[in-house]
Amino acid sequence: MMAVGLRNTAEMKNILGTRRIEHVVVLGANGAMGYGSGALFTSAVPRVTFLARTKQKAEDGLKAAIQAVRSSTVANRVDTGDYETAFDRAVSQADLVFEALAEDFDVKRRALERVDRTRQKDSIVATVTSGLSIQALAKGRSESFRKHFLGLHFFNPPNVIVGTELVAGKDTDPGVCDFIEAYATRLLGRTMIRTSDTPGFAGNRVGFKVLNEAAQLAAEHGPALVDRVIGPYTGRALPPLATIDLVGWDIHRAIVDNIHENARDEAAATLKLPAYMASLIASGTLGNKSGGGFFKKAGKTQLVLDPRSGSYQPVGELKLPDLGYIDSIAALQRDGRYREAMALFVEAPGPWAALARKVVAGYVSYAFHRAGEVTKGIAGIDDIMGFGFNWAPPSVLIDTIGLVKVIAMIEEAGLPVPRLLADARSKDVSKRFYMNPHGNIGRFFVAA
Amino acid sequence: MSQVPEVYVLGGYQTDFARNWTKERKHFAAMMREGVLGALESTQVEPAEIQVAHVGNFAAELYCKQGHLGAFFVEVDPAFSGLPTGRHEAACASGSIALLAAIAEIQAGWYDVSCVVGIEQMKTVPASEGGDYLGTAAWYEQEAKGVEFPFPKLFGKLGDEYDKRYGLKDDHLAAIATVNYANAKLNPSAQTRTWYMNRSHAGSRDEFNAAVGGRIRVIDCSQVTDGSAAVILASSKFAQAYARRRGVTLESIPRFRGWGHHTGRLKFADKVAESQGDRYVLPHVRATITDAWRRAGIADVNGVDGIETHDCFTTSEYMAIDHFGITAPGESWKAIEEGWIELRGKHPINPSGGLIGAGHPVGCTGVRQVLDSYKQVTGTAGNYQVDGARVFQTLNIGGSGTTSVSFVIGRA
Repeated sequence: MMAVGLRNTAEMKNILGTRRIEHVVVLGANGAMGYGSGALFTSAVPRVTFLARTKQKAEDGLKAAIQAVRSSTVANRVDTGDYETAFDRAVSQADLVFEALAEDFDVKRRALERVDRTRQKDSIVATVTSGLSIQALAKGRSESFRKHFLGLHFFNPPNVIVGTELVAGKDTDPGVCDFIEAYATRLLGRTMIRTSDTPGFAGNRVGFKVLNEAAQLAAEHGPALVDRVIGPYTGRALPPLATIDLVGWDIHRAIVDNIHENARDEAAATLKLPAYMASLIASGTLGNKSGGGFFKKAGKTQLVLDPRSGSYQPVGELKLPDLGYIDSIAALQRDGRYREAMALFVEAPGPWAALARKVVAGYVSYAFHRAGEVTKGIAGIDDIMGFGFNWAPPSVLIDTIGLVKVIAMIEEAGLPVPRLLADARSKDVSKRFYMNPHGNIGRFFVAA
Repeated sequence: MSQVPEVYVLGGYQTDFARNWTKERKHFAAMMREGVLGALESTQVEPAEIQVAHVGNFAAELYCKQGHLGAFFVEVDPAFSGLPTGRHEAACASGSIALLAAIAEIQAGWYDVSCVVGIEQMKTVPASEGGDYLGTAAWYEQEAKGVEFPFPKLFGKLGDEYDKRYGLKDDHLAAIATVNYANAKLNPSAQTRTWYMNRSHAGSRDEFNAAVGGRIRVIDCSQVTDGSAAVILASSKFAQAYARRRGVTLESIPRFRGWGHHTGRLKFADKVAESQGDRYVLPHVRATITDAWRRAGIADVNGVDGIETHDCFTTSEYMAIDHFGITAPGESWKAIEEGWIELRGKHPINPSGGLIGAGHPVGCTGVRQVLDSYKQVTGTAGNYQVDGARVFQTLNIGGSGTTSVSFVIGRA
């Protein structure tokens, strides 16, 4: 274990010596991903140029960056400008161009075309996207651009969430990927995950499958019940529908539509956006940023959406079924008895525990089916779910519940058993799946 | 400790100090459990092999409205039922006091295997209320009652005393903070590992680095931290059998080579009044360090490869630098300017990030320091490893420089 770590450290040092990043240009520096990532870059890079449509917007981005990391010293390393007058000069001097424009293929493509015309030939170009194809974004660009272009998917807010996806296109120079991986790990404190250029990459592919399934279930059972049943006790910091409200319904739709249309996997049915969400998005419901989504506040009263009518009612007036089993599980988790808690989860009677097991089994089954497709192995998916989504990684659930019981849960839900799990069952049922020695598996089980 | 029986450190575990256990809706029983089970797993010691347990904790009665923490150890595993356990308190030195008790028992031949846990859950209350609780580590009625954040003020006075006797520049304090934060970035269990920090931020004077008490600003302070750390200690009899079954030599297992322990006057003003005319601002802290050297057969600080010290504030680390004899009294700034205290310097201090960078769960800190020293001398500290370290020393301080404990941990 130790020898491997040291070799990696030495390798990283060698790779870090291959180039220098002394000037980063951030495109779209007034957006949350732009200024958040820009602030992060200032912790390692002497000069970061914030660009936006107007100089004022870039300045606003700088102010937001200062607030985000709570340090005025960000400004010591940042200069600002607009696309019209500052773009060409800044990009022509940059060692790294970080494109954080709106999640719109044509907007990004046009900006990258301009970067291609202007950049110095050895500079790296990174795009932050929640799932647009890196290969498609690179199409039509020069050979030099394509060799130096990659996806660098920070999660919001970048200075807090360390899980980061690194996505190469077909023509990306492997040396450039190695450098960015080493650089982001050692100088930006990231947990880096290499993913394939597949729809939604790794984290959003696996995560939004679960989120969307919850949204589908809400059509029948209502958001309050769904968020309680698939709540923190199932291994997540935030319940699924509250998460969609935080992310934004429009972003949710963009991600699941992309996966549903382009991935066509065994769980495609759970990736179809529910009809009620489509019609509410059309009338302006976008989650927290539009004043409410599944949940909203009226004064001090918490309201919840009725997906059938589109109206809201106070959460307090809802009559939820008996969910005492959740309290029993959470009580065990509160005292750190995670295995006993999950044993109770597996045994809990009633339709709601069965529903929760179906969603959790679906998560594990889907994640393990993606190992080899979206990441090299399950470890990458574990890392992005743990350190990008703050969910119990699939391997943690197996270690906590037990392999045999997880397979039984998957079978009971009528879902396919991943080959990796079936193989492990025939070889060594006590095999440990989660390998991160600093993972603190308990952190993933919030006792609620 | 050449005349007395050896006490070995088999290893241990600490929880991730970045976690907020209140947000996780957890009781400290969970924190105790994760720390102890982690230590058992990493050392491959069976629960049934543990013969006694000591818990270091400062103020669970205040933060969690729960006393009797020794009994919570028994809750961790069915094999612990009936085990002798107890809880030790000496403010921020609670963890080290628990260790001293465990060491003494093994030396006395009472037990062969002991588990020592340090634990504190602090994020249960708002900062000002927590600051008031911490005031009970001073003479509460006379130094802390009705004072907002009493401890930064007390350790600000330590800086003032240095300033009066020798001169002190705040810029040197900012440099101490910068080194601790930089080291913490290399420690995967450090609380501040993702926080934004650089030398100019440490030296800044605006609302993002506000004054909290006298010359002490936000960056000068250690953190409010939830966490536990546990180590397994063993007699030479057990350590020999353990080495055999692990296929390693006994010499490869670190042991406590020396210890020091002194307690000064409780009130800060009384301590300073007593030390007027002394070369050291806190002479009993100096005695704690030199006692540990003497027992370890070490002449001076050149006999240790690194230090995990008690930087509850930058001023306490500034004090530690000259009290360890890295510089002459009053000249700590020289070690800072020369880079000696940095990870690759000649006297690395707090490679873990210390209390400022790694975090300061009060009753846990002494145990965490010993665990980090264990990692250093066994070459298992990962990215914050001090190259080739064989001997490490800790300094753990309770109150305003009051209860002081130091351990020397080394191989062979």
